[in-house]
Amino acid sequence: MVKKIAIYGTYVTYEPVWQRYWHKRKDGVRQRYWHKTTRMKKVVKKGRYEFSGRGRDLYKAVIEAHRTMPEGYVDVSAEEFLEHPEEYGVEGTWVESSVVS
Amino acid sequence: MSHQWSHKSILGFTDTETVMLDFDNSTFKTVRYWARRAMKWHRLEGFLILKSSENSYHIVFNRKVSWSENMKIVAWVSLLSHNRGLRRYLTMQCIKEGSTLRVSPKKDKPSSRIVYREGAEDNQIAGFLRYRRRIKDIMKKMS
Repeated sequence: MVKKIAIYGTYVTYEPVWQRYWHKRKDGVRQRYWHKTTRMKKVVKKGRYEFSGRGRDLYKAVIEAHRTMPEGYVDVSAEEFLEHPEEYGVEGTWVESSVVS
Repeated sequence: MSHQWSHKSILGFTDTETVMLDFDNSTFKTVRYWARRAMKWHRLEGFLILKSSENSYHIVFNRKVSWSENMKIVAWVSLLSHNRGLRRYLTMQCIKEGSTLRVSPKKDKPSSRIVYREGAEDNQIAGFLRYRRRIKDIMKKMS
C-alpha cells in the first residue's frame, strides 16, 4: 500500500433542518413525513481525509481540505480529490479537537 | 525546526506496511524498553522514537511488514505492556485499516520530534522521514 497523508479532526458546518409533518391518507391513516427545510443549523462533526499521490497534488489537496470538510472517512487520491472536491466533502471550518490518531 | 501551525486540523502520516506505536503516559525508558524488545522479538531491524508531548512517545520500526503482521506486533506490545493508550490506538488503527501517527501540532501539543534512534533506518524509517519532511514543508508553506 502507498503511504498517505492524513488530515483529520473536528469541524463545523451548516446543514439543512429536517421538519416533521403529518398527512392524513385517503385510507384514514395518519402518516408521518419528513422534509428538508431551507433553514440551516450549525453542526459539529468529525472527519478524516487520507490522501495519496504526488507532492504537488498533496500540497494542493491539503489546502483544499481546509475549505472542503470530509464527510466521514474519505480515502482518495489527491489528484481525484482536486478534480471534484465537492463530491468528497462539504463547506466548513476545522475547529480545535481532541481526537486520537 | 518548529513551524507555527495556526490551522485547527491535524496532519498525520498513514501507512499499513510500517509498524508504528503510540505510547501515552509512559516514561522514555519504558518506551525504549518495549521498542527494543519488539525489535528483537519480531526482527524489525531498527527503530525511531519521537516525543509527541510530555510522557507521550511514538515509535516507528524499520522492517516492511504486511498489514496482518503489523497489527500482530502492535497487539503483542499492547498486551504485554498493559498500556491503555496503546490499546486504544490499536483499536482505532484496526477500525480504519491503516496506522497513523500525528505530525502537526494538536491543541497545546507540539509536533513530534526525534529523541532516539537505534539500528537500521534504510527502509520504512527512511520512508516515514521523507513523508514527515513533506508534511512539514506543506505546513511551512501554509503558515
